[in-house]
Amino acid sequence: MTPFRTLATALAVGLIPAAAAAQSMSPMRGEVNSFTDVFAVRVFPANPYDQKIKIEIHVYDQDFQPVDARISPAAFQLGAQASRPVLVVVPFGGAAERKVRICTESIPFPNQQTQIRAQICGKFFGHRKS
Amino acid sequence: MKLFRTAFGATLLVACLGQPASAATQNVIFNGTITPTCTLVIATNGTMTVSPDLQTLSSHNSGGSAGTVTLTTTGGVSLSVDPVTATTVPSADTTSTTWTPTYSSAGAHSIVETGSATAISTPGADLVSVHLAGTKGGSNRFANGNYQATVTLRCE
Repeated sequence: MTPFRTLATALAVGLIPAAAAAQSMSPMRGEVNSFTDVFAVRVFPANPYDQKIKIEIHVYDQDFQPVDARISPAAFQLGAQASRPVLVVVPFGGAAERKVRICTESIPFPNQQTQIRAQICGKFFGHRKS
Repeated sequence: MKLFRTAFGATLLVACLGQPASAATQNVIFNGTITPTCTLVIATNGTMTVSPDLQTLSSHNSGGSAGTVTLTTTGGVSLSVDPVTATTVPSADTTSTTWTPTYSSAGAHSIVETGSATAISTPGADLVSVHLAGTKGGSNRFANGNYQATVTLRCE
């Protein structure tokens, strides 16, 4: 990780919530200032169920088109009532600012006729400072 | 001398009576900020049944059931469903189907069944019912076999 990305990550630390237990994802809003061509957001997906589930993190633009962001980790198993940090690094793509949605998706009960996919999306605004 | 000391002490004691204690006080300020937060917990998935004319496969039909999801939020969020894109149909079904997801809510927020996004501005907990209906037009009919579809319920 370059010093610049380290700085961008450090800026994202301000978004860390005070408590993330039993939330599907927090925070759900945020603005990040970055001096590089990327900005970073740390989110905390949580599993409110009493069983282990698989969680996937996706990043979309304002039109729900996928964004080529680096997500660490993008998919993982999360234990009951557990939460873990996920680092999302979003490129500005040459723009001075970028709005993205970071979404936590889970499918806890497969093999039913009508599955419901719960999706919790946070809106994040990155500003590129020169 | 003894009398003088007694008189002096008594005078000093009287002079101190009625004087407030000079203890310092400071307020301790607590701040807290809650950003919009949303939790969705899927309680049950839904079941669709076919209509007598075999042109509607829906959770609204007799024997069908809605999927249920508990929503807990601080407010300042919106609830919506995505168009259905992932479906599994039996090989005998070769005709197109129009899928329409909808939802309604009861609890802290009453939302009449809709397919559009709903802004939720106040905190509370709700039971959200998610419905799905597939329809065929013209002379097309649903076929024998297993159908499966995924509805995405989004809180953002």
